[in-house]
Amino acid sequence: MTQDTGLDAQEVVDYVEDEALAQIVDQMWQSYFGHVEPLLPAFEPQEVPAPLLCASVGISGARPGLVTVLVQESAAKPLAAALLQEDGELTDDDVYDALGEVANIIGGNIKALVPDAGALGLPAIAEAPPLPRSNSRCAARLDANWQGHWMTFIVWLSGSGA
Amino acid sequence: MRALVVDDSRAMRKIIAGALRKLGYEVVEAADGAEALKVLGEGPLPELATVDWNMPVMDGLTFVTQVRAIREYRSLSIMMVTTEAEHGQIVRALAAGAHEYLIKPFTVDALEEKLALLGLLPEVTA
Repeated sequence: MTQDTGLDAQEVVDYVEDEALAQIVDQMWQSYFGHVEPLLPAFEPQEVPAPLLCASVGISGARPGLVTVLVQESAAKPLAAALLQEDGELTDDDVYDALGEVANIIGGNIKALVPDAGALGLPAIAEAPPLPRSNSRCAARLDANWQGHWMTFIVWLSGSGA
Repeated sequence: MRALVVDDSRAMRKIIAGALRKLGYEVVEAADGAEALKVLGEGPLPELATVDWNMPVMDGLTFVTQVRAIREYRSLSIMMVTTEAEHGQIVRALAAGAHEYLIKPFTVDALEEKLALLGLLPEVTA
């Protein structure tokens, strides 16, 4: 059974706009990646070329959602190294952990914008983006470039938990 | 001073522990609430625990609740450091016994401000 917030899908999607996502990503970047090259937003949608890694966190509640972070595989290790501020060799677990934390930080802040949100899931890492729920809509998207690598941040939100 | 950093993300533990070590803290780490309780049981009791909310095995809120039920740990100051940003979550954590709440992403300056509010910002000597 789900809570009825009295909002339709479009209203919920409107709670999370591209600008809000961009602000969250920018704040995260300044906080943890301020010592490396800036993340440059793209002016039009860009597809992250394969092979890629995708970190995602789910948002439960009346209007379930999914926050995904797609990065080129070649960018994943430098990104993790930047977050950890480590020059040495990183393990796959280090890379997955770092990407997961990026998705977690964005997901938590997105959840705060969604009415009647429930719990934030733990981050998951995959080699392809997870399929969002069939009744989900892309509420916000940010395509950006870092050191020549494309990254895409997407927020999927459902109109209802049904 | 001694701090316990509780977070399931190694990257986040490193960021928080690094900032605390620069301030002169001796830091121990735990990857979830259950591991943190074990660390506390082994002593000595730290002055500060920074605690993430969403973790496997035992989440941060459960950890805070359990710590607050143990009389010997009452001097431990707890700061939630989490991506949970809703007002209701902050209220829940403070009601459970956390003393401060820091939302990720955070800057080192913000962490230091929270430590100052707790009276746990060491005087760093040049």
